[in-house]
Amino acid sequence: MLKHSLTHLCKYLSFPGPAQSQMQVPSGYGLHHQNYIASSGHYSQGPGKMTSLPLDSQCDDYYSGLYAVPTQNVMPPSTANQQAGAQQIYGRGPPAPHLVGSTPGSFQGAASSASHLHTSASQPYSSFVNHYSSPATYSANSSIASQGFPSTCGHYATSAVSNAAYPSVSYPSLPAGDPYGQMFTSPNAPTVRPVKDHPFSGQNTAIGHPLPLPPPPSQQHHQQQSLSGYNTSSWSPSGLPPTNDILIINLLILICMLGCPLQCQSSFSLLMQCQNFISRLSYWFDSCVCAFHFTGMQYGEYVNNQASSAPTPLSSASDDEEEEEEDEEAGLSQVSEESRFLVINTIFLLLLDVLSSSASSPAPDPAPEPDPAPVPAPATPQPSKMAKPFGYGYPALQPGYQNATTPLHSGVQPSGSVYSGFQQCPQYPGVSQLSSSLGGLSLQSSPQPESLRPVNLTQERNILPTAPVWAPVPNLNLDLKKLNCSPDSFRCTLTNIPQTQALLNKAKLPLGLLLHPFRDLTQLPVITSNTIVRCRSCRTYINPFVSFIDQRRWKCNLCYRVNDVPEEFMYNPLTRSYGEPHKRPEVQNSTVEFIASSDYMLRPPQPAVYLFVLDVSHNAVEAGYLTILCQSLLENLDKLPGDSRTRIGFVTFDSTIHFYNLQEGLSQPQMLIVSDIDDVFLPTPDSLLVNLYESKELIRDLLNALPNMFTNTRETHSALGPALQAAFKLMSPTGGRVSVFQTQLPSLGAGLLQSREDPNQRSSTKVVQHLGPATDFYKKLALDCSGQQTAVDLFLLSSQYSDLASLACMSKYSAGCIYYYPSFHCIHNPSQAEKLQKDLKRYLTRKIGFEAVMRIRCTKGLSMHTFHGNFFVRSTDLLSLANINPDAGFAVQLSIEESLTDTSLVCFQTALLYTSSKGERRIRVHTLCLPVVSSLADVYAGVDVQAAICLLANMAVDRSVSSSLSDARDALVNAVVDSLSAYGSTISNFQHSALIAPNSLKLFPLYVLALLKQKAFRTGTSTRLDDRVYAMCQIKSQPLVHLMKMIHPNLYRIDRLTDEGAIHVNDRVVPQPPLQKLSAEKLTREGAFLMDCGSVFYIWIGKGCENNFIEDVLGCPNFASIPQKMTHLPELDTLSSERTRSFITWLRDSRPLSPVLHVVKDESPAKTEFFQHLIEDRTEAAFSYYEFLLHIQQQICK
Amino acid sequence: MVLLTMIARVADGLPLAASMQEDEQSGRDLQQYQSQAKQLFRKLNEQSPTRCTLEAGAMTFHYIIEQGVCYLVLCEAAFPKKLAFAYLEDLHSEFDEQHGKKVPTVSRPYSFIEFDTFIQKTKKLYIDSRARRNLGSINTELQDVQRIMVANIEEVLQRGEALSGSAEIDTLNQKKYSSESPTFNKQHFLSYLG
Repeated sequence: MLKHSLTHLCKYLSFPGPAQSQMQVPSGYGLHHQNYIASSGHYSQGPGKMTSLPLDSQCDDYYSGLYAVPTQNVMPPSTANQQAGAQQIYGRGPPAPHLVGSTPGSFQGAASSASHLHTSASQPYSSFVNHYSSPATYSANSSIASQGFPSTCGHYATSAVSNAAYPSVSYPSLPAGDPYGQMFTSPNAPTVRPVKDHPFSGQNTAIGHPLPLPPPPSQQHHQQQSLSGYNTSSWSPSGLPPTNDILIINLLILICMLGCPLQCQSSFSLLMQCQNFISRLSYWFDSCVCAFHFTGMQYGEYVNNQASSAPTPLSSASDDEEEEEEDEEAGLSQVSEESRFLVINTIFLLLLDVLSSSASSPAPDPAPEPDPAPVPAPATPQPSKMAKPFGYGYPALQPGYQNATTPLHSGVQPSGSVYSGFQQCPQYPGVSQLSSSLGGLSLQSSPQPESLRPVNLTQERNILPTAPVWAPVPNLNLDLKKLNCSPDSFRCTLTNIPQTQALLNKAKLPLGLLLHPFRDLTQLPVITSNTIVRCRSCRTYINPFVSFIDQRRWKCNLCYRVNDVPEEFMYNPLTRSYGEPHKRPEVQNSTVEFIASSDYMLRPPQPAVYLFVLDVSHNAVEAGYLTILCQSLLENLDKLPGDSRTRIGFVTFDSTIHFYNLQEGLSQPQMLIVSDIDDVFLPTPDSLLVNLYESKELIRDLLNALPNMFTNTRETHSALGPALQAAFKLMSPTGGRVSVFQTQLPSLGAGLLQSREDPNQRSSTKVVQHLGPATDFYKKLALDCSGQQTAVDLFLLSSQYSDLASLACMSKYSAGCIYYYPSFHCIHNPSQAEKLQKDLKRYLTRKIGFEAVMRIRCTKGLSMHTFHGNFFVRSTDLLSLANINPDAGFAVQLSIEESLTDTSLVCFQTALLYTSSKGERRIRVHTLCLPVVSSLADVYAGVDVQAAICLLANMAVDRSVSSSLSDARDALVNAVVDSLSAYGSTISNFQHSALIAPNSLKLFPLYVLALLKQKAFRTGTSTRLDDRVYAMCQIKSQPLVHLMKMIHPNLYRIDRLTDEGAIHVNDRVVPQPPLQKLSAEKLTREGAFLMDCGSVFYIWIGKGCENNFIEDVLGCPNFASIPQKMTHLPELDTLSSERTRSFITWLRDSRPLSPVLHVVKDESPAKTEFFQHLIEDRTEAAFSYYEFLLHIQQQICK
Repeated sequence: MVLLTMIARVADGLPLAASMQEDEQSGRDLQQYQSQAKQLFRKLNEQSPTRCTLEAGAMTFHYIIEQGVCYLVLCEAAFPKKLAFAYLEDLHSEFDEQHGKKVPTVSRPYSFIEFDTFIQKTKKLYIDSRARRNLGSINTELQDVQRIMVANIEEVLQRGEALSGSAEIDTLNQKKYSSESPTFNKQHFLSYLG
């Protein structure tokens, strides 16, 4: 049994283990080269021991050993959907290693072949490539690669291999010079990009390509061999125009064949030419449909294979390594030139086969292909390699192929491949290397080249794409991409991390993370195991991006420490297999949840405790929110998250504080009034927070009575501060959630506030004051609450100024959330009332985590310095979250403290430790992996403009409060000016007359302009102080998806919805109208438009809108009869009504808080609300988009 | 005053249920006691005495072990021992009935945390002196609490290491003593005579 040592006992609620400051890595691991050298020793032993052992037998050995089944188990996801997903991820039995490894090759091939299409465009980008092409890097990489350390090597190899692989792929058509080659496909053939089809390509790509044909293992060896050799040759032609392709190809071939026997050469090149010709015929210029993609993939593979079979004299380091291997393998099987020719031939035939068959057809039987290969040819090093896989590997391949042909499994393969290297290490180090490294190159389904296409902003009239903007996919290999964290949970402003702070400074772009850590997930692997595997020095949780040095050791991807793999981890509960630590769900999923052991608890998990603190002053009763709240509570009482221990309590206040004794056994609730607000005490501490189930009847009685209890009150004062103090006392023994409903300025007792708003200054263009709190009472109280694991959520429902800037502090520092309903009135403002009702439903029933802490770790060299969101920072990287809710977003600013030259990947890990409402202590871990780049162009290529704008918005809020609003506005404008001018300086033919942005940044000026016109930052337009402050609060605490809609609403034309391009959701057809830019120019009088601003929808009806639409959708006979206040669309049995409603419902479902709908008639007074969101247009106080661009251009030229 | 109640599986010290301490308002830091309790659970095994009182300064731990489950309570030293054990017996009978069968199969800490509700109620009965009179078990002197072993918590927690450490010394000493014993006996005999 496990006896935990005392040292494991953690500090209260903090993660056990050393702080991040202790992340120092043992010196030996600091340098990768050293590291690799060290490991190479290990590796070289490997083959000696293992070569003759087929992998299976290896496994058997392990199985046969004594093995106690650990108690760990992984809970399978419950719904059918989840099942399927889970299966995809885990469902595989013990895989044939070769096979797994090989898949990336195929994908890669696809990518690169795709890139052929567009190589013509490569010239402008050639400069970006140089990072990859430096020969020094190559040799280093390739040597590393051949050592066979799966993932780290993979990382390193990525770049190296990509270089190599590209050229090899490019044989058939042409020099696909740059790693971004694939990107070119997107303009011509959007369908090729999986991203476009599946926004969450990370998971979906596999499905998108149902039948990637895994190349036989031999190919991988070839590829590997070729790595170093091709580096040099490959790059030279990259800049050449596409028309020379044949010539180039020949050239390439010749170069590559230098090391080969002459006869082989000739036949080979001949073949290549043929192939090339055919390939071009078939799909070079063609329409690039998906079919192309698939064939391309396969084709690419084969080509890779061929290419790699030719060694180059230049491949020094790797060659040596290979030779060693070859020697070992030599006796087993070798391939002569003839045989190679045969192979090529076969491939060629196969290729034709593939071309003729459709993409969906099963992959051709691999069997014939390998056959010719194993012909003895001792002299040539490659052949032996080729032969090796056939000798052993081929039988093992079979299941893999089957996998590949089954769509269900197709997704599985690639995901495993990174780690497959691990297994193979001892046997075929090369293969493993390759599989992981191959990926590096490429497969970017993300538009790298596209993202660097210079866009002349002033001339591009329609800058806004018609389809929603998705997060760019980091330029990683396919395996890593698949494993990577979903951008919905974790995004970085730069998907290519600059190597040094200097480079980051040059780029003038903000670097930071945007997190949505507790997002509602449909699929989440939950892991119960006795030991949660973590790095011993930096406490990083084991994740998909660690590398396994051997069966028993893994290397931390954050601090590079080598850790032991615990015995328990050797068993995979999903496959019920032993000895495959790399297949554990922790290593297969970048988002997982652990059931924590008691080491992670300093006290028993707390129950769910909910306290409602309600304003019942005259103002509150007049607004009438109590009815809605009590009704909503009554409806959702049984749905409040919690177990049988759930407790609930109520406190009301006006000038006094009222407690309610709800102790089980009472005949009716007892109201206890405490009028001493200067020294608040709890009248009966035991019976105010009561068990929800035992006192349910009393609670219902109270909720039914509350709305009418104060109807005749004349009390106008509000003693909010003392009520909060009482709430704190009530909550402190357990912790939990306090929900405060406030309708006016607190006017009595501690924390009283005065009006600070001067209504005449609302539209001032000068100074906006009072954005910060007037008193530190609320902040102090929040910190006290946070210390007792209590979060305070604020619902402010007021028609007058209530100093939200001060009140918000109670939630900001206690990790609460803030809701604001300006001019709330349950009768006069039905849309707000409806919104409150819907928000409450979500609020009361959504998931909640208690006594939480969140720690964010990042690869050594990076550091976090500023956090945004609602929380209290307990130590440098530990956020204290008394509550965590699924709608909370966070942002972190990063800086690069040490240069990242010795790593090609960086990782970020968020760990959220919380107590679920069922009393389980859980840890949700997200890990994001991003590549490191050394050129400015690559940095620009990887900008995630939405993430950047959200981070900037957060920074601007801080600046507004700490300095001034105008400072913040200037900083926003400067962010655009600086980054665009910095970019301008990188392009050689920079014209000062044009405003050029890389494609990745083309929306940057637009979004910044939108921010400047957002309520939080706008000037010159009348904005109530509370509205502004609330907008700022939202910016700080909303996750990216919702924040983007707040900043830049989506506009759709909805009077002509068609089913074209519609998607199907739950048997409903949801039309997908194109996005319109936010300009009145797009509004035609004949149309009807829907604007999605996140928390509110506007439907604008033009004066000349067709009566058909008005009748069919709005249910009114004509334009004139549309009521002024319309907040619902009637359910009419017409096609257009159905389409419209289905579209709106679909939009609604995508967000947690249901937005209010306003139907706005043209010429109605409400239309100003609508028109203020048309941010591309000029207003009295602000630039139009075009003017803004000119302004930026002017600033740049200064 | 009952301050802390914990229930754990003896086999591996896995905590099964606990009652949230409600005493933070009075400023008492129960953290130390809680970690002592956790340590104690890890020390306990089948050979441990099934009923024991452990002194911890101004506080006292009482525990009983029944069917592989340890029921532990932390009280003020002045709290009657009889009551404490009766309280533990009450918890035992209810817990065993509700969850007894599931105990060997669970792996998650605090799997039966919802038992807290019952603990709290029972605790109230025992703390409230008026309600206490109604407790039949107290009045009928079911057990002789005076015979229950008393020890010090610190000693118990350190015993594990001490024992393993002293084991070697013992063997060494044994040899030493055995070699010396004839002389000693002789001396002793002589002194006896003299």
